[in-house]
Amino acid sequence: MKRLSLAIRLLIREVRSGELTILVLALIIAVTSSTAISLFADRLQRTMTNQAADFLAGDLVVSSPQKLPRVWHEKAGEFHLNLAQTAEFSSVLIENEEMLLAGIKAVSSAYPLRGHLKISDFDYQRQQIVHHGPGLGEAWVEKRVLSALKMKIGDMLAVGEKPLRITKIITYEPDKRGDLYSLSPRVMINSDDLQATRVIQPGSHVHYYFQFSGETKQLLKFKSWIKPRLNPSQRVMDIHEDRPQLGSALERAERYLGLSSIVVILISGVAIAMAARRYTERHFNTSAMLRCLGCKQNEILWLYVFQFLIIGFAASALGCLAGWLAQSYLFYLLANLLPPQVANPSWFAIVFGFVTGIVILFGFALPPILRLKQVPPLRVLRRDLLPLPTSAWIVYGLAMTIIMALIWRYTKDIRMSATILGVGWLLIAVLGGIIWGGLTLSKNLIPHLNLSWRFALQGLLRNQQGSISQMLAFSITLVAMILTFTVRTDLIDDWQKQLPENAPNHFALNIFADQLPSFQQHLLQNKISGSRYYPVVRGRLIEINNTPVQQIVSKDSQGENATHRDLSLTWTDQMPEDNRIVAGKWWDALATETKPLVSIEQKLAKSLDIKLGDILTFTIGSQRLNATVTSIRKVQWDTMKPNFYMIFPPGVLDGYAHTFITSFFLPDQKKSLLNKLLKSYPSITILEVDLILKQFKTILSQLTQAINYLLYFALLAGFMVLFAAVISTLDARIYDGAIMRTLGANRKLLNTTHLLEFILLGFFSGVIALIISEGVIFSLYSYVLHLEYRFNSELWLVVPVLGAFVVGCVGFWGVRNVVNRPPSTVLRDI
Amino acid sequence: MKQSPQKSENVIIQAENLSKTVATANGPLHILSSVNLTIISGESIAIVGASGSGKSTLLGLLAGLDAPSDGTIKIKEYFITDMDEDGRAEIRNRFIGFVFQSFQLLPGLTALENVMLPLELRNDRNERFSAQNLLDRVELTERLSHRPNQLSGGEQQRVALARAFVTTPTILFADEPTGNLDSKTGEHIIELLFQLNQEQQTTLVLVTHDPALASRCERIIKLEAGKMV
Repeated sequence: MKRLSLAIRLLIREVRSGELTILVLALIIAVTSSTAISLFADRLQRTMTNQAADFLAGDLVVSSPQKLPRVWHEKAGEFHLNLAQTAEFSSVLIENEEMLLAGIKAVSSAYPLRGHLKISDFDYQRQQIVHHGPGLGEAWVEKRVLSALKMKIGDMLAVGEKPLRITKIITYEPDKRGDLYSLSPRVMINSDDLQATRVIQPGSHVHYYFQFSGETKQLLKFKSWIKPRLNPSQRVMDIHEDRPQLGSALERAERYLGLSSIVVILISGVAIAMAARRYTERHFNTSAMLRCLGCKQNEILWLYVFQFLIIGFAASALGCLAGWLAQSYLFYLLANLLPPQVANPSWFAIVFGFVTGIVILFGFALPPILRLKQVPPLRVLRRDLLPLPTSAWIVYGLAMTIIMALIWRYTKDIRMSATILGVGWLLIAVLGGIIWGGLTLSKNLIPHLNLSWRFALQGLLRNQQGSISQMLAFSITLVAMILTFTVRTDLIDDWQKQLPENAPNHFALNIFADQLPSFQQHLLQNKISGSRYYPVVRGRLIEINNTPVQQIVSKDSQGENATHRDLSLTWTDQMPEDNRIVAGKWWDALATETKPLVSIEQKLAKSLDIKLGDILTFTIGSQRLNATVTSIRKVQWDTMKPNFYMIFPPGVLDGYAHTFITSFFLPDQKKSLLNKLLKSYPSITILEVDLILKQFKTILSQLTQAINYLLYFALLAGFMVLFAAVISTLDARIYDGAIMRTLGANRKLLNTTHLLEFILLGFFSGVIALIISEGVIFSLYSYVLHLEYRFNSELWLVVPVLGAFVVGCVGFWGVRNVVNRPPSTVLRDI
Repeated sequence: MKQSPQKSENVIIQAENLSKTVATANGPLHILSSVNLTIISGESIAIVGASGSGKSTLLGLLAGLDAPSDGTIKIKEYFITDMDEDGRAEIRNRFIGFVFQSFQLLPGLTALENVMLPLELRNDRNERFSAQNLLDRVELTERLSHRPNQLSGGEQQRVALARAFVTTPTILFADEPTGNLDSKTGEHIIELLFQLNQEQQTTLVLVTHDPALASRCERIIKLEAGKMV
């Protein structure tokens, strides 16, 4: 206890003297960034998950063509889950001598369990957010319904045999799906009115959706209870299963957030290690004196450990507070992009930030502190006596354990984490060797250099080991910065490429061959840009190599889904632009083949275990068609262009009845064209996906903003390392500078020497950083983020120059005192 | 702690056959060879010799700051050569005070805090009172809250003297206490050192180049190339 109070008293004096400022600042920045990122990522993830739940109007949804058995409802009750249900079906509405195929949706009183509806009275301007559907006797409709049926709010609309009063216009519906029922003009009614419409008869085509909400654990239990009880026509959906595009965007964003937080913690760790090293070195004399005064080795160790514990707690608490403020500010900045209800900060994220602070402080600062107990007391007589360096096992072991734990938290794969770490250290060792070789060789240059360059190079060579560690530290920091920057840029580019500004937002199906020329003309006249027109033949895959597919597919697989329904088969001589052959050859290389050929999508092929050369049997109408698989394609499904599991060469399917499909971009202001189009071509089905796309784009732009801010955090932490590194060498530089000035060196020479030394350090660190970055980015893109790797030649031009510039500026600023303080003061203080 | 079977009231330090050898690239270097020395309680002794003769090494060994390659050192009844570093630290804490050429004040602490430190390490409850008294004694009452870099060399050495005497040590080791000071300030420090030494009946072992300072001691030991002459 007495030792603790002594530690506190010494610490107070140290803090007052400013000795600990850099270390405490480095730690506060580390904890601020890690807490802010941890909190921000956690809140963003939970908000996005909630928002994803909004898309489903529940946390978990079961879709079924029939009502669910009563026992399922009871089971949901046992798990304390809330339940809402919707029934969706198509129905023809006839009013004012106008006819419209509408998507009717009957919703229960609890709908929507998650998310909200937006409704308005007359126009889109005054929208109102509600958390319930229409009341008894009411119908809410999309605006299009009113114009198509020449009606207005307050009119009575007959749905089947039930007249309902139109009371609101629906402008937003959370769980709008991309199927026929959802994308036809919406009419929403109360489920208690459903029976009175008498539309639903036995055998009617209805889709029921049962939405559940509740605690995650209970939902998971319920999900695992219902999964084995589902019949083939039923599906259970959550965010990952139901929205593949959003799912993958979320997953990548999560991975990026994880990556950024590791990067920031790692570079902050380097800053702490450097600051702690300087602190330790400045305390060799104090330790020697304390030992001289009778302190035992362990007492000295505990004295400093206590002090660091107190520093750790105080700085982590401050960092947590600052982190909390920083993330609040981020959410404030992003308020326009985020949903109004953002998930609350979780205590776990704050505790994580706090614990991270303590762990990184000791992980990176303990090895230097351990040196303090090794200081020989004889140092009071002989200043040149240095304590033995802390065992390399402890230094690297601790740092590696922490980095390993961080990577593991991110990858959740111990083998992969170990591999990343192993390769990383190997790389550092090899590069360390290369730098050592380079520096040793550069000694030959010294006689040929002018004075400034000679002093600069000698500055690097004097403490070769120190220069190597400094270059590696700068390199690692630059790698982290490059990584955060490049991955961010490529991730955002990839998203933007995925959904360009004028990505198609409507699909037109069932275009008959005789309608095709005039339909195309119609779009052209209205300056609507569209994708290619593909013929579609409906057919079902029934056999693979003469074995019925039902015997091959596994339950719940994509293959099972594909074999339970008719597939859209198409033919084309040109491969769709967002497809890529991964096995086999396209038709042009198989011109001599006379038998029917087919190209299959990669994931379906994998799911059904279909290989090149397999014979697939389809039924088309009442006829059978055999085709040999000659290529497997990777398809990018989320481009909003028509895509197909099965593509045939021209000539195979031409004889079968077929329609055409296309997609096109219709801007908001041309939306009214849709009614004209539907009137001119009543048989054509138009699917409107613009609302879904808008929601998706909003989420992507939110992510982009968030990711930009994380980049700034990483950059801030990076600059902190640079400062810490420069300051860690300040004492030696100040001393050398004072001696040189005493011997007659002028300020200009010293300034030039320092600047050149830092420029050299920065330039070579930049080159090394690029070598490491390219390797890491390649592995990251190939194995983790699944992005396409591109060699970035611009980086090779920019980074070494930028490294030289940044390190040069920071270094020059850091050591400005060397030339500004009178040598006599410097020498007296030493 | 191992005690000497032969108790002698007067002998405070006894060094027998003391040697210190260090390994260098050119083979072993003998810094001290077979030094035998007995110091009586209350005695003042000056160790003199040219640079590199082994004076500071001998001081470091006698104070338990370093371990000899060979030989034994007994302080009071304790064989410090049989102790590990922590054992020697305890001896230093209980019996020894130091004054150094380069003052060795802790830069972050004020004059008062520097003087309080050895008492704090002993868990002494009157550390502030005792430290203030000693600083009064060395005429630094007005400088209590000053840090070392705000003090002149002479003032710093007076703080160091106060720190050395605040624990009323049995033995005081002084390494060139006036080496960094001008002659006038040096004289003042020597005066103070011997006054305090007198008041507290401390055994004084000092290393010096200064013949005037050495002559004030009761005994002078001369070292040449690591040997007593």
